[in-house]
Amino acid sequence: MLTKKRAVLTFTAVAAMTLSMAACGTGGTGGDGGGSNDSASVWYVSGAPKETLWKDQFAAWNQANPDQQIKAEVYANDAYKEKIRTAIGAGNAPTLVFSWGAYGPVAEYVSANQIISLEGKVDEALSRTLDSVDAAGVLDGVQYAVPNGDTQPVMLFYNKDLFDQAGVVAPITTWEDLLASIPKFKAIGVAPFALAGQSKWPDLMWLEYLADRVGGPQTFNDVVAGKEGAWSSPEMIQALTYIQDLVKADGFQESFGSTTADSNADVALVHTGKAAMILQGSWAYGSFKNDAPEFVSAGKLGSFPFPSVPGGKGDQADIAGNPSNYWSISSTASAAAQEIALKWLNEENLDAEYVDGLIAGGAIPPVEGIRDKLAASDDGEFLTAAYDLVLNAPNFQSSWDQVLSSVAAQEMLTNLDKIFNGQITPQEFAANMDKTINQ
Amino acid sequence: MAKILGGRRRPNIIGGLFGWIWLVIILTPIYYMVLASLRTQGDYYKDNPLVPPLKPSMRAYRLVFENDFGRYLLNSAIVTLGAVAILLIVTLMASYVIVRNRGQVAQRLFRVFLLGLAIPAQATIVPLYYMITKMGLYDTLIALVLPSVGFGIPITVLILVNFVRDIPGELFESMTIDGAGNWRTLWNLVLPLSKPAVVTVGIYDALQVWNGFLFPLVLTGKPEVRVLPYSLFTYQGEHGADTPAILAAVVLSALPILAAYIIGRRQLVAGLTAGFGK
Amino acid sequence: MPDKAHAPGAATSRGRSGPSPWLAAPAMAFFGIFAVIPLLGVVYFSFMRWDGMSDMTFAGLDNWKAVFTDSTSLNAMKLSLVVMIISWATQTPVSLLLGVFMAGKQKYRAVLSVLYFLPLLFSSAAIGIGFKAMVDPAFGLASQLRLGFLQRDWLGNPSLAIGTVLFVIGWAFVPFHSLLYQAGVRQIPASMYEAAMIDGAGAWKQFWSITLPQLKYTIATSSTLMVVGALTYFDLFYVMTQGGPGDATRILPLDMYLTGFRSFQMGKASTIAVILVVVGLSLSLGLNRLSGSSRMESQMEGL
Repeated sequence: MLTKKRAVLTFTAVAAMTLSMAACGTGGTGGDGGGSNDSASVWYVSGAPKETLWKDQFAAWNQANPDQQIKAEVYANDAYKEKIRTAIGAGNAPTLVFSWGAYGPVAEYVSANQIISLEGKVDEALSRTLDSVDAAGVLDGVQYAVPNGDTQPVMLFYNKDLFDQAGVVAPITTWEDLLASIPKFKAIGVAPFALAGQSKWPDLMWLEYLADRVGGPQTFNDVVAGKEGAWSSPEMIQALTYIQDLVKADGFQESFGSTTADSNADVALVHTGKAAMILQGSWAYGSFKNDAPEFVSAGKLGSFPFPSVPGGKGDQADIAGNPSNYWSISSTASAAAQEIALKWLNEENLDAEYVDGLIAGGAIPPVEGIRDKLAASDDGEFLTAAYDLVLNAPNFQSSWDQVLSSVAAQEMLTNLDKIFNGQITPQEFAANMDKTINQ
Repeated sequence: MAKILGGRRRPNIIGGLFGWIWLVIILTPIYYMVLASLRTQGDYYKDNPLVPPLKPSMRAYRLVFENDFGRYLLNSAIVTLGAVAILLIVTLMASYVIVRNRGQVAQRLFRVFLLGLAIPAQATIVPLYYMITKMGLYDTLIALVLPSVGFGIPITVLILVNFVRDIPGELFESMTIDGAGNWRTLWNLVLPLSKPAVVTVGIYDALQVWNGFLFPLVLTGKPEVRVLPYSLFTYQGEHGADTPAILAAVVLSALPILAAYIIGRRQLVAGLTAGFGK
Repeated sequence: MPDKAHAPGAATSRGRSGPSPWLAAPAMAFFGIFAVIPLLGVVYFSFMRWDGMSDMTFAGLDNWKAVFTDSTSLNAMKLSLVVMIISWATQTPVSLLLGVFMAGKQKYRAVLSVLYFLPLLFSSAAIGIGFKAMVDPAFGLASQLRLGFLQRDWLGNPSLAIGTVLFVIGWAFVPFHSLLYQAGVRQIPASMYEAAMIDGAGAWKQFWSITLPQLKYTIATSSTLMVVGALTYFDLFYVMTQGGPGDATRILPLDMYLTGFRSFQMGKASTIAVILVVVGLSLSLGLNRLSGSSRMESQMEGL
């Protein structure tokens, strides 16, 4: 029996070694997953100014609350979107789950019981923020997500020097004027628009605005409502046609397909004078400020809302973008971790200090009664204009890729990429997308 | 007439030309990457990219190290060494059985392992993700070790078996007469005599694990368990416009294998082509 | 016999039937749990509907129907085939000629051979990221050199992207295959060339009538690795293009990954995986039979 016994012993030894390594591995990750001990965790997306603000805020919290630690991890936007879902599926969600509102992905978390209802638990946190922005955290009448950062309308940013050189007058208010400006910018050797085509989601901003301007909010609401053939409505086709017109007129920088947004390469094209304008979320202002402070402080950066289109039904005051980013609480986190997270949300989330930090960083806090504060800041002109844009918007359309299901969103981004590259026609786009309705 | 190959009567001009052209194709990107990594971001835009910088800058390398390069390197080393150690131990044991055990079981086992050679590991990523999460191992280094061991077994067993077979049977018999048990035979006879094969196949396995990308991409998420190749990708996402820093990270990631190449060129080449280059 | 192996007095029984099969148990366990079960799992998953989070439900043949009617997946299959053929047809001649060149005894060839090894120091991910930074039209090599003809949208233009990635694949993998050929050439007996020279055969004739036929098995091995390996290219495509622009570089393994871990259709992703396994297996077995080589080594999938 000797050999058999020994063999079994070795096997046990190998198994033990394996397990001890496993223990090592998990030991180091305490605080995540089910929240094996009494600490909470949070993941958030990188980008100025929130990244630094949160880093400092969580560090200060951890100093003040030694037995209620919150462990923070930062991800680039694309990496975050790719990772969060697999982590949640693996039961390793961070306690505080970062999102873009209670739509698409968050709705999927809700139906899989992966996040908890915050109804009645975060009243203190919600008392600080704009009701219209809180509303984007509600699904089927239940508050699942709390706004956690700036409100992010998408608008056109432009380089004032290049506008002067090309003899173009800002703001551009109509699609005809926009097309007419293209040859003027090309004459001075710059691209009219910068676009981070490789990141794909910046393409979407063009479609969101054009669909709204052509047909009003109804164009996309039909898609959300699951109306058969909603993607092939004449309004949607017209919006897609406008995009291809713009591409054909060389509206975007050459080789836009290689430019990424995560690294702010698109914003860099504008402040380095290679492109005149960019359609981006208001967070781009923070990127400009961070990457090219002298460009912003010298007053060379301007912004204006998206223009109207000929005969369009949409209100020019409508905006697209993200009402805010949001935090939900994972249902797999331990009771202790959930409690820490709730306490943090109520006490610290978007507190006065954080709001001041946002303003100083050129971002628009979604809180009431800060207009005077905004006006008094270094970036008063931009911030008050953007704040008013949000307050006065009849419709604030959330990013489509966050509203739709994961399947439809991926299909849309791929097909839109093909629209920009001229690989498919608007009709083909519509046909491909119609298949995703009610799927 | 000894130097037949190549050493023909007249120099082979076309062959030589081809060789030099290929050298340019191979070297240009590497040369460019190394030079670019030694520039500041400002110089990078101004300088001729193919001329060495006047004042080489270590800024990019400092930046890479400040961004936890050391931790990723350590993670890669732990995963690679862990996987290779387990692999070599279990496959050496199995090879001993396959060669010396005359029972049906051992031979069938060998055939099963051989069939495993053709499984493309990455095609199993969905069930693997499912299993790893159910085992509670998601986001741990062990999640990278276990499947690497599983998929490394067929080729490792094959190579070791071919080698252990060459050990003369009398040696085993004399060990048995000496009263040596399985473990003593394994340790005192099989291991020392199959050392060259163990080294070769160990290097092959190590390269596979070291360069792995899909398993880390799917089975881990947090920065603290990131391994080197995947960390390069995330680094690119975060510092996309800082070309010198990205290239510094790329260059640094090659240094451990370069060190291995300098120390044991012959073994590394043998390991790389293990099982193919007969 | 099996009971004897476990009988008391192990020393004598081992003398006859060898070591206890239990010694192979750990290897079997690892292989069974982490290779065989996932392989069976992928077939099972292909008949299930799972979003990676909710409960799994039975899907019948839905995933299979979806894959074979989905233009993206069909395009991915076509693209994988194109990648397979082009990379084989371009890499084989280059690797073969390089192998012959490297097998030469001249000093400078030995030195060059050392340098040819350099790409093998990098992981695929590192190579992809390095090249991506280098060909970036706004921040890369061409923008610095101000060479207009190089300043193209290498990875962002749908008609250029696939060619660019294929070039990088060649750069990354030719060194490995040329090592195989180098080893193959060195095993050809010098006497064969001597005989040919006495017959007055020139270098060209020697290459065709001796080198090439003698490299038969090396060509078979290398080709199998290339063809089957083309089904496993993932890292380079993922880091360089993520399948874009549009789906211009979305090859089958990438389609599997993006379907599973971006769209979270794990069942459909598993269906694609089953196709990959079946095609890979039949290719390696088929090529093996075709080349008459019985060596299992050549079935090993790509590097």
